[in-house]
Amino acid sequence: MIALITSIIAAAIRIATPLTFAGIGEAINEKSGVINIGLDSIMLSGAFVSFYVCNKTDNILLGVFAGLISGIIISLFHGYLAIKGKANQTIIGLALNFFALGLTSFLFLVGFGTSTELPTCRIVSNISIPLLNKIPILGEVVFSQNIFVYLLFLTIILSYIIMYKTSWGISLISVGENPKAADTAGIDVKKTRYLACIINGLLGGLAGSYLTLAQLGFFMENITNGKGYMALVAVILGKRNPLGIFLAALVIGVADATQIRLQTAGIPLPSEIFTMLPYFVAMIVLLFSIKNNKDPLALGTPYERNAR
Amino acid sequence: MNLVSMKGISKSFFGVYANKDVDLEINSGEIVALLGENGAGKTTLMNILYGIYQKDDGILKIKDDDVCFKSPKDALKYNIGMVHQHFTLVPSLTVEQNITLGENFKGYPFLKTKDREAEIAKLSKEFNFAINPSELVKDLSIGQQQRVEILKLLYRKAQILILDEPTAVLTPQETESFFEVLKKLAKQNCAIILITHRISEVLKIADRVVVLRDGVKELDDKTKNLNKNTLSKAMIGRELKKQQIKYVPRKEVGLSLKNLSSIGIGRNISYFNFDVLKGEILGVAGVDGNGQKALAESIVGIRKYSNGKIFIDGEDITNLSTAKRKESKIAYISDDRHHDGLLLNYSVEENLLLKGDASKKYYKKGVLSKNILSQDATSKIDEYKIKTYSSKTPIRLLSGGNQQKLILAREISEETSVVVAFQPTRGLDVGASESVHDKLYQKQKEGASIVLISTDMDELRKMSNRILVIHDGMIMGIVDNDQNLDITKVGLMMAGSGVKNG
Repeated sequence: MIALITSIIAAAIRIATPLTFAGIGEAINEKSGVINIGLDSIMLSGAFVSFYVCNKTDNILLGVFAGLISGIIISLFHGYLAIKGKANQTIIGLALNFFALGLTSFLFLVGFGTSTELPTCRIVSNISIPLLNKIPILGEVVFSQNIFVYLLFLTIILSYIIMYKTSWGISLISVGENPKAADTAGIDVKKTRYLACIINGLLGGLAGSYLTLAQLGFFMENITNGKGYMALVAVILGKRNPLGIFLAALVIGVADATQIRLQTAGIPLPSEIFTMLPYFVAMIVLLFSIKNNKDPLALGTPYERNAR
Repeated sequence: MNLVSMKGISKSFFGVYANKDVDLEINSGEIVALLGENGAGKTTLMNILYGIYQKDDGILKIKDDDVCFKSPKDALKYNIGMVHQHFTLVPSLTVEQNITLGENFKGYPFLKTKDREAEIAKLSKEFNFAINPSELVKDLSIGQQQRVEILKLLYRKAQILILDEPTAVLTPQETESFFEVLKKLAKQNCAIILITHRISEVLKIADRVVVLRDGVKELDDKTKNLNKNTLSKAMIGRELKKQQIKYVPRKEVGLSLKNLSSIGIGRNISYFNFDVLKGEILGVAGVDGNGQKALAESIVGIRKYSNGKIFIDGEDITNLSTAKRKESKIAYISDDRHHDGLLLNYSVEENLLLKGDASKKYYKKGVLSKNILSQDATSKIDEYKIKTYSSKTPIRLLSGGNQQKLILAREISEETSVVVAFQPTRGLDVGASESVHDKLYQKQKEGASIVLISTDMDELRKMSNRILVIHDGMIMGIVDNDQNLDITKVGLMMAGSGVKNG
C-alpha cells in the first residue's frame, strides 16, 4: 500500500511539474494585469522546439534553451498585441492556442515526415541526491527526481520570495491593480508587463521542454493535450500564489496518477470515465473557490496614460 | 522664491484646445487656487506640469531649469507631486507599501517594512494625520485615503503640491482640518496648487486665484482683491443667478417612508422614517458612502427591504417593482449616469427608450414607431436645450451636462410626482447645474416631492426646504434649511455625532 501511495505521489509530482512551471509564469503575467489563456501554445511550442533541437543536435541543454526562447517569443507576441495593440487578451490567447497547434503539427511533419518509426530524443535522467534519497517515502518522492523537478522547487521558492518579499512584487501588484498609481509612482507599467510576459514565456517554455525532454522523449501532435488549460485552473485554484499553484497542480496530479492506475486495474468501466477524473476534480475544487475572486482589478485592461 | 514658471502653454486634443497660451507663476509658500468650470482646462494644465501630458507649445521652467516632463517620474525628480481627483492608490496594499511604491530604498529590493513604517508614522504624526502605516488602504475611509496620498507626496519630498478637487470627498469638518494642513505645508515653504470649482473655498484658503475659462487664463490676482461676483464672472462669464426665494410646500404628504430598512450589497439604510410634502425638496446630506445609494435605490425599488413600508400619495407601493414604480410616477436620476442611466454608444433616441413600460408611448400596434420616437426626441431636445448634432447622435459625443439633461428629459414627465435626484449635478459645470436645478424647481412648483441627495453642501443649502443628515445608514436628524441653520452642527452630524431627532 505504501509503495502504491509513494508511486502515486511521485507520479503526481511529475505531472504537476509542467503545470506549476506554466502556472507560476501565468500568475506573474496575470498579477501584472495581462491574462494569457494561450498558455497551451507556449507549452506546445516549447515542447516542439526543444524536441526538434535535441533530436538534431543530441544536446539536451541546447534543446531546453531553444524551448525557452520559443516560449518567450510566443508570450511576447501575445504581450505585444495586448499591451501595445490593446487587443482583447482572451481572444489573442485562444487564437495562439490554435495557431501553435497547427504550426507545430505542420513543422513536425515537415521536419520528420510520416514514418512508422517515431522520432525520439534523449531525455534527462533522474538524479538521486545522496543520503536524502534514503529518507522513507520523501526520498523517493522528492529526492529521486530529474533536474526539472529540482529546478521547479527552486522556482517556487524564488518566485514566492520575489512576489511577497521584495519591492518587485509590490510593483508587480500595483501595475495589475492600479496601473495609474504605479505610473505616477514612477513605475514603468509597460516595461513591467513586458517583463512579466517574458517570465511567463520562459516558464511556459520550460514546462514544454519538460514534456518532451524529461517525460516522453518524443513529440506528437497536440502533445500538451490541454495541459495549458489545466495550468490555468491551477493558477485560479492556487490564487496566483506559487505555493498554492503547486498544491493545486499536485491535486490534479494525484487525480491523474490515480486514474492511470485505475485504468490498468482491470475495473470493467470504459477508460474515458477515468480519463475524466482530473478534470472532474478540478471542477469540484473550482466550485469551492467561487466566492474568493481576487482577480487583479486591471486584469485584461490595457493601460493608457493619456486616456480621457 | 519663484518655483514654477509657465509661459504660453498650449495643449490640444483632437484639434480642440484644452489650454491656449496660458501663463502661470507659482511661488514657494503660496497657496494658489486654480478655478474654473469643468472642461476649462485646469486639470490638463496641471497634468502638463506633472508630466502626464506633454505640452504642444510654450515654456515650462522649474526653478530656472527649462523642462519638459515625459512622465510623472520626471516631475517627481523636481519635487512636484499631484493628488488626483480619483486617488491613485492600490487598495490591496498597505499604506506603507503605497507610499513607498516605486522607491529605491536601503536593502532594495528586499522589503524592510519596519524601518519605513516608523518613518511614515513619524511623518503622519507631524501633521496630525493619525494614519497607521501597516493598515490596508482598502480599509481606510476616503478622507484617510486622501491623507495617504498627501503623505505619499511628503515622503517623496514634494515641494510643489498639486491637489485636484481635494475637498469634493470631505465633510465640512474634514475640509477645515484639511485646510489647516495646507496652511502648515505652505509655512514650510511648499507651494500648493488647488484645483477647484468651488468659489467659497477659494476665498477661504487661497492666497492667489487663477481663473481659467475655455482653456484661456481669465484672471490672476491676490484673493484679497477679489469677491464672489468677480470670480463667478471670470469663471462663467456672468454673475450667478440670484438665489430664488424658497417655494413653500403644500400641506399634503407626497412620499412617505415608514421604518424602512434595506438589504443588499454595501451600506444599507436602517429604520428610515420621513415624509416629503408635495412641492418640497428634501436635501440629504452626508459623506459619500453612508447609505445614500441604498436610500435612492430603496425608494426607486431597485433594492429589497428587510422591513418597513413606503407610500406615495398615501398609496402603499412597498411591493411594487421598479418598472411599476416608474409607471406610478417616480423619476430616478442616478449618481452614476454612465453606469446606471445611459448606453453611451447608442443614440439620443435609443436612450429615451430605456424606461421600461413607460416607453409604451413609442409603440404603435406593438411595433416600435421610429416616427413617434424621433418626434418626441426632437421635441425633448428643444425643450431641454440638449446640445447635439441630431437625435441620432451617439450620446458619448455629448458633454456631461447634455447627457444629464437627456436623463432628466427621459425620467421626468408631467405625471412625475416623486423625483429621486442622486448627485444630479456631479461633474457638471455651473451652467448645466443651473438648468438641472431649474428643472427640479419647476417640478417642485408642480407639486412633486423631491429627494435631493448630494455631497455638495452649497447645492443643498441652495435647493432644499429641509436637510436630512445621513450617517452610517441612519438618519442623524432633519433640520430646516433657513437662515438659522447651524452648518457646524450639520457637519458634526455628518461625522456621526449629534442629536438624533428624526
